[in-house]
Amino acid sequence: MEKLATQEISIKGLPGSEGIAIGDVLVIDNKKRKVQPKKINSESILSHLKSFAKSKQLFLKELDTLSTNLDTKTAGILETQKHIVSDVEIEKRINASIEVEQYSVDYSIYKVFNEFIERLRESGSELFQQRIVDIENIRDRLIGLSCENRNALIVEKGTILIVKDISPTDLIHYFEQGIGGLVMDKGGITSHAAIIAQSLGIPCLVSTKDAVSSSGLSKKAILDANNGELILNPSSQTTSDYKTAQKKEKRLRNAVAVTSKPSTTKDGKDFTIRANIEFVQELKLAKKFNATGIGLLRTEALLFGGIANKSESEQDKFYEEVLSKSEGEVTIRLFDVGGDKLISHTHEEANPFLGWRGIRMLLDEGEMFKSQLRSILKTAGKYPGRIKILVPMISFVEEIEEVRTELNILQDELKNQGFTVDEGVQLGVMIEVPSAALMADHIAKKVDFLSIGTNDLTQYTLAVDRGNERICSMYQHYHPAVWKLIQTSYDAAVNNGIQISVCGELAGDEIGAACLLGLGINDLSMSPSSIPKIKGLLIQRSQEELHKFSKAVLNCSTSEEVRELYRAWD
Amino acid sequence: MTKKKVTILNSSGLHARPSAALVKLASKFESEFYIHMYGYRINGKSILGVMTLAAEQGAELEFEVNGPDEEEAMESITELVNNKFGMHDE
Repeated sequence: MEKLATQEISIKGLPGSEGIAIGDVLVIDNKKRKVQPKKINSESILSHLKSFAKSKQLFLKELDTLSTNLDTKTAGILETQKHIVSDVEIEKRINASIEVEQYSVDYSIYKVFNEFIERLRESGSELFQQRIVDIENIRDRLIGLSCENRNALIVEKGTILIVKDISPTDLIHYFEQGIGGLVMDKGGITSHAAIIAQSLGIPCLVSTKDAVSSSGLSKKAILDANNGELILNPSSQTTSDYKTAQKKEKRLRNAVAVTSKPSTTKDGKDFTIRANIEFVQELKLAKKFNATGIGLLRTEALLFGGIANKSESEQDKFYEEVLSKSEGEVTIRLFDVGGDKLISHTHEEANPFLGWRGIRMLLDEGEMFKSQLRSILKTAGKYPGRIKILVPMISFVEEIEEVRTELNILQDELKNQGFTVDEGVQLGVMIEVPSAALMADHIAKKVDFLSIGTNDLTQYTLAVDRGNERICSMYQHYHPAVWKLIQTSYDAAVNNGIQISVCGELAGDEIGAACLLGLGINDLSMSPSSIPKIKGLLIQRSQEELHKFSKAVLNCSTSEEVRELYRAWD
Repeated sequence: MTKKKVTILNSSGLHARPSAALVKLASKFESEFYIHMYGYRINGKSILGVMTLAAEQGAELEFEVNGPDEEEAMESITELVNNKFGMHDE
């Protein structure tokens, strides 16, 4: 047996509450105190009756103290316990057992509770059988209190508690002392201890069967409740692996916690955070971080492999999948190709970024454009109100007019072919070229929304090819000129009563997001992984603070001044 | 004495929380309240009694109410059961 204490042992169980704990082991082998059928003499009857009444009172008082500051589910469990402790039938029978049969208080409690437990055991209902351990806990707690044998064990912070079973009151008692994890030989994943562990955020493993007997000599353990495993005497390698996993998990948990809060600034101004995605697989993370829909769905991947005219049915499948696996609005950007994203049959250009790209190419390549638009419109008909169409690289008002005309024709065609269409499908454009920003007031009259693509807007405003290594330091997205164009675009949207959002990298950048919200752009779309960081920042600030910051940014003359301002503000 | 047959409709059956709700309501009435199931006759004001019936969804019970406010009590209690104890099925 001595040898075992140095060997890594793995014990399997069911995850009652997810998480990883690494810590010292404390085994509480709460072998039930033998409760003997002990008879008492008539003089002791009164004191035993009083003892029962007192233990009931103490238990109820304890439950009352615990009920404060708990979530509703846990409070509900304690409420049920209160009902059980004050059960009229229990009281009647226990008193009768003491008074008439002259059994001791502890045996009377034991006997009466067992009558009910036996009935539950006989019921054969799996769901109800799981309640037995909870009722046994109440029974034993009452017996303990009646004998004034309170188990106020003190445990070290971070300890992994290994028990046969545990009462909710004891679990909360240990939680207050900072236990790191709980392993319970008995109980199912719906037992009270597991539910409470979940609500308290304690990693918990249940139904381990022999953890108590196996852990006797172990000092350290790792509880991996995500995978249903308890590792006793972990090696230093295992410990270090789990420490890394634990850190990662903690970061993610904090991140998810932030994103589940309402999106409002400290002074109650709402904002919206959406996700930029390209593949269906990214929807999972967007959902995890509570993104409000998809602010930018890139579609270029449909063209990978150099097939310019991806079949329409394959496109249909892709949009259908995105829509069915997401909630809220999905803004689909038409193929943004050309420039650095060449497709095989495009010819080489001297200045591809100033060349045949985005909407310029789409309008020339009629079939590719029409088939994408048709596919999007068919999907929009199935999900009315959810799809918005975004046109890239607009630099002339005429380009939008052409797109609008084509869109109307296709909608009519689809209707004639018997498809359902979304009459209100929204059409918007990317503001990513200075001419578009400067003409935003005119553009805004022809579209339903604007979305600022800050990466290209920076590139074109500063005349810096962002792929050119020699001048990459000049690619500065905090440049005040970019902010001025953003301000102009925002004003145009507000004056024309249309929506404006930002879907470029600036939205997923702390300085960028703070300033954008300060300017009044409260709809930001970013890579899902940026959401926790940005949301965490924005909910800590008031709209007024953000507004002051953005005003100061607009008065800066260099990017460095903007950075300096943020550092000072932070 | 009033008697009435009822069926448990909520998915978790007469589990802890529904039982607590049932007992809480029954205890407000002066009348005695008993539940018959599988030949058992249990005190409907005792949560352990109710829970140990292990009545799952679809179980058929007979309520017996006895006392001065029995009609009102029967009406309220059966309404609670038919409303699935005011719980949304999880």
